[in-house]
Amino acid sequence: MANHDTHVEHHEAHTEHSTRFYWIVGLVLAIVTAIEVAIFLVQDLFLHELFLAILIVLMLAKGVGVVLYFMHLKGDFKIFQFLFIVPFLLAVSLVLLMLTLFSYHVGIAG
Amino acid sequence: MSSSASHAHHGEANQKPLVGSMGVDSRKLGLWAFIGSETLFFATLIVTHLIFYARTKEMLNGAGILKELDPRLNYLGIELTTVLASLLLASSLTMVLALAASKARDWKKFRFWQMATILLGASFVGGQVYEFMHLYHVGLKLAPSYALHISDEVYNTIASLNLDPSIVTLGEDHGHKAAIVPSLFGVTFFVMTGFHGLHVTIGIIWLLAVYVKVNKYPDSPENPMDIELGGLYWHFVDLVWVAIFTIVYLM
Repeated sequence: MANHDTHVEHHEAHTEHSTRFYWIVGLVLAIVTAIEVAIFLVQDLFLHELFLAILIVLMLAKGVGVVLYFMHLKGDFKIFQFLFIVPFLLAVSLVLLMLTLFSYHVGIAG
Repeated sequence: MSSSASHAHHGEANQKPLVGSMGVDSRKLGLWAFIGSETLFFATLIVTHLIFYARTKEMLNGAGILKELDPRLNYLGIELTTVLASLLLASSLTMVLALAASKARDWKKFRFWQMATILLGASFVGGQVYEFMHLYHVGLKLAPSYALHISDEVYNTIASLNLDPSIVTLGEDHGHKAAIVPSLFGVTFFVMTGFHGLHVTIGIIWLLAVYVKVNKYPDSPENPMDIELGGLYWHFVDLVWVAIFTIVYLM
């Protein structure tokens, strides 16, 4: 059990941030959301592909912020990172594959 | 530590994290596994919605009436959704502040931030219920077609095209002239966002239970992990909305 306690302490040491840090992360996430909405409102200024690419990058930035700092995955045990990152990569693959496979399919309901 | 041994020492384990053979807290391990499975669950809901929206768009585009009858452009405004996204994002911040306060054993601050999280979450659910009711009244339903309210001009234009009923029919909805489009856009939208709303509601109940428990037993050594687990789930629910907000409403 002593070994486990060491692990737990090690974990705690990696996940502590000051409240000021969390406020900064929250502020950054709010700014990114505002940029997303602003870009949506002026989307006619961009090529559609560029518009989509910018939104995807901003969405991923927000997601990474939430996962690493609010969910404390950064510096946490590798097993937790594994349990989230592997299904996430599978989910991204699933979305991309299904969109590709169905892009020329004339199926039910339109 | 075997499962039976873990159960046998449950009372004793109240003094320590429930560390299993992986060397990590078993409850947290289980929750991360659950979050991983939920990631795939929501990915299937999102991609299903995208596929049926794309099919609907292609059908309408082929008939030359995409702009008039595009369900996303005509139904889903971003004003309310931006407010909802901000509420949920703010609730993630208050949640992590509640956790930080609990680790500092500042229970007064914990209660404040935890209750703020609960109220922000409840506001989100309230906003979503309002959005669902609004959409229902303008013709988007949990049904295999949507009835978009249209002006006389659009009505006459579509009537003059004499389109196949498998693309669009003209009729009435809630006393308005409407174009009725066979599409699973509404079904997939409500199932996806409805499941997310259900998750938020479960999260509110979870956080409320933790709030009451911590208030009743402020000295329990399990409190930090209880709060952390509720927080993890809550942040995940926020994470799903980060994706839905961008992919479904903005793209």
